[in-house]
Amino acid sequence: MPPFILKRSNKGSLLIFQYHRTKTRNLCSSQLVPNFLDSNQNHKVLDSGLSSILLKSTKNRSGSFCTLANSSLLSSQNLHFLYLNPKGWIFAREFGTQAAVELCTSDGLTVDGIVGSKWMIVEESESDWKSHAAAIAQSIQVIKKRLQWKKLMVRLDLLSAELNKPDLWNDPVHAGKISREHGSLMGKMKVVKAFEQELLEHIDMIKLAREENDAELESELMKALLRMRRDSKDKELEALLAGEHDSCSCYIEVQAGAGGTESMDWAAMVMQMYKTWAQRRGYGVTVMDEMPGEIAGIKRATIKVDGEYAFGYAKAEVGVHRLVRISPFDSGKRRHTSFAAVAVIPILGDGSTHVQINESDLRIERFRAGGAGGQHVNTTESAVRIVHIPTGVTATCQNERSQHQNKASAMAVLQSRLDQLEMARQAQMNAQHTQSLTEISWGNQIRTYVLHPYRMVKDLRTNYEVSDPDSVLEGDLDGFILSYLSSSLDKDEGEQ
Amino acid sequence: MIALNQLRHERLMELRVSGLCCGVYAKFMRPGSHFCPNSKSGSSISSSSVEVKPKIPLYLRPPSFSASLSELKKWHRWAKNLASSVGSSFVRLDNGPDSTLLRRELNWLLQDLLELQHHPVILSLLESDSNENVDTSVALKAPLEELYCAWRQRIEERRPFQYVVGCQHWRDLVLSVQEGVLIPRPETEMIIDIVERVALKTTPKLVHGLWADLGTGSGAIAIATARALATHAHAHAHAHGRVIATDLSPVAVAVAAFNVQRYGLQDMVEVRKGSWFEPLKDIQGKLAGVVSNPPYIASGDIPGLQAEVGQHEPKLALDGGITGTNDLLHLIDGAASMLKPGGFFAFETNGDKQCEFLLNYIENDKSGSFCNVHPVSDFDGIQRFVLGFRQRMV
Ligand SMILES: C[S@@+](CC[C@H](N)C(=O)[O-])C[C@H]1O[C@@H](n2cnc3c(N)ncnc32)[C@H](O)[C@@H]1O
Repeated sequence: MPPFILKRSNKGSLLIFQYHRTKTRNLCSSQLVPNFLDSNQNHKVLDSGLSSILLKSTKNRSGSFCTLANSSLLSSQNLHFLYLNPKGWIFAREFGTQAAVELCTSDGLTVDGIVGSKWMIVEESESDWKSHAAAIAQSIQVIKKRLQWKKLMVRLDLLSAELNKPDLWNDPVHAGKISREHGSLMGKMKVVKAFEQELLEHIDMIKLAREENDAELESELMKALLRMRRDSKDKELEALLAGEHDSCSCYIEVQAGAGGTESMDWAAMVMQMYKTWAQRRGYGVTVMDEMPGEIAGIKRATIKVDGEYAFGYAKAEVGVHRLVRISPFDSGKRRHTSFAAVAVIPILGDGSTHVQINESDLRIERFRAGGAGGQHVNTTESAVRIVHIPTGVTATCQNERSQHQNKASAMAVLQSRLDQLEMARQAQMNAQHTQSLTEISWGNQIRTYVLHPYRMVKDLRTNYEVSDPDSVLEGDLDGFILSYLSSSLDKDEGEQ
Repeated sequence: MIALNQLRHERLMELRVSGLCCGVYAKFMRPGSHFCPNSKSGSSISSSSVEVKPKIPLYLRPPSFSASLSELKKWHRWAKNLASSVGSSFVRLDNGPDSTLLRRELNWLLQDLLELQHHPVILSLLESDSNENVDTSVALKAPLEELYCAWRQRIEERRPFQYVVGCQHWRDLVLSVQEGVLIPRPETEMIIDIVERVALKTTPKLVHGLWADLGTGSGAIAIATARALATHAHAHAHAHGRVIATDLSPVAVAVAAFNVQRYGLQDMVEVRKGSWFEPLKDIQGKLAGVVSNPPYIASGDIPGLQAEVGQHEPKLALDGGITGTNDLLHLIDGAASMLKPGGFFAFETNGDKQCEFLLNYIENDKSGSFCNVHPVSDFDGIQRFVLGFRQRMV
């Protein structure tokens, strides 16, 4: 069944379906374009080894299949079973991965081809199918870039090879990990491929509709293209947060640089900026650990930001933030420059593999030691510090009202710190995002906030700039975050 | 399921006891005042023979008061300044709270005062300098005037924060506390870990035995032990045991019973009034476990205690006689006959020297009664607990 028909249930779609089946038996591309990324479903046949059979059985004209020349994936290891389904369509069941197949229209047009042919992109409101198609094709390119498509394909290739090893399940833990990652990659790529396929099918159909002067079908397809064009903008944004841990909640840590009260005050302002940013985004915010300055501000603090994609956004803030202003703590009213370092730690979900912590490796001590304790003392301070002896990593939580809960929260922080350390070791993530506070060099300045003599906030990585520091300090950070995420992803792909 | 039951319970108690403030407490509370009694009357309660009615903690009261955001902001600013003015003067005076801790307590006070779902929003509104929404009315669980009075008592009279809000968070429990009952300490939380790790894990059949928490105070140890018994019994598909909690203080007995009820544990925890083992005569030699945090401070140290403790918490809960060991020695003697062979005991002590003294006492004066006796340190590295098992018959 042509997949794009199924997505819509209105009368018009049904019409297309009818039309398609009766009038275009020879237009095979849309039926034969592989829906290949879903290994759990029946697939239309897609690889060159089988295409000859298919070509015969469907009387397709040549050129409907575009496979990459170096398609190493299409090896004999990949098994395919052909069968005829009751409706007469031919499917293949596929146990390999054919991510390298490039989709195209019946006359060989690909997404890259569309972008390459530089069709004019005009306003959405103008009913110009080429303009819509070009805009969508461009978005698809951006999305693929942001997802680091080429890297994904290499990885998928690797995972598929691994999955095809006969002794894979001798190590079930490893096998589980591989197949989970494989599944999640496939899922991610499938969505994009389906979108791409939908575009190409629409192009085929709209050309056909015009050939056959079917105005009703043409307008139906124009609407569909417009819908896709709008969707594609959302998908571009979504693609910014496609990193393995982006959907996690996270901890944000801020530490004051040298410079006493002025920089501790700055650290507190930075922390406040994140608290409001997170609250406005609808995230839960909890202060876990806070070392206040003697006079004002904080020496360091850790907050927990709870909610989907908290890490994906917040990771853009890692680094040193610099403030220039007349210090309210300076009686001489001089201009000061202060620094605050920001680190972000993802809180891995239950599905991910956590570092195993041995209880015998932990030393747990009272946060504020000293005194007789016990019945002698009544204090609401029940924090403990947990030290992981082998790594020296520590964690504290003072926010909770019982020692038991403080200990549990500190354990959770410790777990995330150790997980992050392990991830950094495996270099699975962009190295910068995994830096802990202690590793961030004070030279790694990412953003400057100037309150005097002029007013401006400027990101040194993207040159994104805002002239109203107050709004930024009140948590209006999305512009900075999104521009950084897109620029860093676009750069990454370019370097491949 | 349990959570739901608990909630229902709390609601029920709320309905049943709301407006209780004119009961026994009338004698030292302004009429209508929920949590701002005239101070300095706390210790008198322990001698009271009138039936005691437990107070509802602030966080469980209905939000039947309100104030405008600007009024609340004004109070909050005032309270914060009052907290800041303390600096570290109390620390120097008697190792009391500093302003950082007091400001954290202020946040917790707000947590209890406001409705849970409003708390984060209102907190950020209070922190922000903007004048938006100042006319918004905020639902409160106590009237604003009382908040001024309560915070002044906290700081000027050093009334413990937990008495101000009427509860103490202890392990995963929120226990009602009030003047006349010791506020359970963080150190004591570890007794439950010890019970679980040393007793229940190694000797699973203790899980369905009879346990005693002597000098139960708010019921903290008894309630947490009962929950541990239930959890471990469940894990082993056993029937769970029971806990008997005793205390000499009528306020403690009433508050402990209230807390037991709030956690829906009436079937598992029985509160009895009386001195140490006295109310347990019927079960001599049958106990699977005895746990206690008895008074252990030497009488001579009482006058020098931190104001929150010395001026507000009951002497009966603190004073352990000239060396502080009167009650602990009595408990060790009792455990030798009250525990069944193989039964477990764990007691909190004043630490280090006192702990050593007790270990010596057990070794020399009680030789043959116990086995596997050893100390366990708290998170400050102080040998805080003595524990062991009653010798099995040979
Ligand atoms: C240090 S407090 C401990 C309270 C509670 N178990 C806790 O850990 O929070 C000591 C308790 O022993 C009680 N107590 C004092 N003398 C007692 C006696 N002779 N018999 C029973 N309980 C007594 C006091 O009323 C007080 O509740």
